[in-house]
Amino acid sequence: MSSRPSIVDMREVVKTYEDGRVRALDGVNLEVRAGEWVAVVGPSGCGKSTLLHLIAALDRPDSGSIIVNGEDLSTERNLARHRAREVGLVFQLDNLLATLSAAENVQVPMFEIGLTARQRRERARQLLGLVDLSAKEHSRPPQLSGGERQRVAIARALANEPPILLADEPTGRLDSASGKRILDLLADLQARRGLTIILVTHEASVAARADRIVRMLDGRIVDEESTHPRPVANASSASQ
Amino acid sequence: MSFLSLIVKNLIRQRVRTGLTVLGISLGITTVVALGVVTHSLKASAGQILHLGGADFMVAQKGAADLSFSIVSEEDVAKLAQTPDVEYVEGILFHITRIGTNPFFFLGGREADGLARNPPTLVEGRLWGAGAANQIILGRVAAADLGAGVGDSVTFEGKPFEVVGIYDSSILYERSGGYAPLRDIQEMASRTGVVTAAFVTVQQGADPQGVAAAIEAGFPGLVTIADIGEYGKVDQGVTFLDAANIGISVLAVGIGAIGVMNTMVMSVFERTREIGILRAVGWSGQRILRMIIGEAVLLCLIAAVVGSALGVLATRAILLIDTVRTLLVPEYGLDVFARALLVAVIVALVGAIYPAFRSVRLAPMEALRYE
Repeated sequence: MSSRPSIVDMREVVKTYEDGRVRALDGVNLEVRAGEWVAVVGPSGCGKSTLLHLIAALDRPDSGSIIVNGEDLSTERNLARHRAREVGLVFQLDNLLATLSAAENVQVPMFEIGLTARQRRERARQLLGLVDLSAKEHSRPPQLSGGERQRVAIARALANEPPILLADEPTGRLDSASGKRILDLLADLQARRGLTIILVTHEASVAARADRIVRMLDGRIVDEESTHPRPVANASSASQ
Repeated sequence: MSFLSLIVKNLIRQRVRTGLTVLGISLGITTVVALGVVTHSLKASAGQILHLGGADFMVAQKGAADLSFSIVSEEDVAKLAQTPDVEYVEGILFHITRIGTNPFFFLGGREADGLARNPPTLVEGRLWGAGAANQIILGRVAAADLGAGVGDSVTFEGKPFEVVGIYDSSILYERSGGYAPLRDIQEMASRTGVVTAAFVTVQQGADPQGVAAAIEAGFPGLVTIADIGEYGKVDQGVTFLDAANIGISVLAVGIGAIGVMNTMVMSVFERTREIGILRAVGWSGQRILRMIIGEAVLLCLIAAVVGSALGVLATRAILLIDTVRTLLVPEYGLDVFARALLVAVIVALVGAIYPAFRSVRLAPMEALRYE
């Protein structure tokens, strides 16, 4: 894995809220290699979701640099393009659009990449097949279980074939069986598609599925560990 | 799923609100269409008069508030005939009188030679000739309304006329009225020695515009009217209707835009989190803008269709009134519906600008945190 190129490179990233009174990220350094699965763990309010949101370009850092797949997000003007093409997002709440069917929800991000309606339909069908929901493509979110909704959300996150999947507590509201199925799906995506996964969780059992666990506390990365015997890239990249 | 179907779904999910907004805008469009059709039809009816008897243009009194108030002396009519390149001039006196429930019965006073030269199409009887008095030819509709046939006697303002012929015409005023000798109508209208307008036919090969210009130069108190666009020179009523139409269109835009803005602001406010999700999955601000404006435009296009249909129905309802029916034949000109469409699009754009920009300004994280 260490031979693989860096796909996320955060350097001295600082993010504050409430006019600087709340320091959500305090000089974070993190490097993630392509195809790696990194779990970010830590107590509530430690900054792990903020870290994810900055990589997703949902927000900008106060200082420091974030380079994702070669693009420097601190200077990039078109962050929407980054969100559309470079990352796929899965939230704790599935955040599906309730009025749209599963297939239509999966198609939503595809409007930004210039596919025809037929191509969008076909790709959504394939992605729902990938998450084993072919039979539910016409179902709307209220007609699906929590686990099924989360799988639709994963299919939507993969809609534009991003190299990175960002997941914020994706199993947080699921029962253990559904949660395991989601994690199995992520592992399968990593293995078969070479997807880079950065997953935020506070559950140790979930984090254990990752290649590397990054621990955060008070806006800083305080520890890292590899969960596999093989070497993990840039183990010294954690701040302090 | 197409982008349009997404927009449609967004509107459908708030059926009641969408329906009420469409209804509100439709009522404005209905007014625009109904008034537009009436104005358009009145102009068209008036425009038919300009070329009575196949004339190239009409000459009337300059500054008359209404064509029926125009006065042109018979002396001027005779002088007009002397203008170079003029082949023929006929002075006609229009007299509008009440017959039964119809307060706008059209009576035309003509000279016998003018009538003989450019007669309407007789369907029964004959024309009255030189020296005739108290004789009349009636338009087909007028004869039917009056229940009069050839040989019958009809009375206008206490003066009896013998019906000697019945004619048909494509001109509303002609077929709903009648022609009698000029002297009889002048006496009835107490307008001895004058006509309402002179109808000028220019010589073959001559330029009607050049002749009209020469007449206006030689007769400062008269104006020439060759097409309906110039009709306002002698009829402020049409000008007033035009102004009212524009005023109502502006009002419809204002009221409609506020309605659309209210609907779209509510919609954007309610969908704050959803907009955040769309931003999070990569939608650009421009696409969000297009979605919000698209919803407003679709809303207003539906309102334009509904409003236009209601406008046509309203016009038909207006035409149930006898008085109105004698004044106009409804003409559903494309320009009327184009104006309705324009009003709808302006309403949509004006109403959507604020909510659209509000939605674009939403920071993705701020929108996602919204509950």
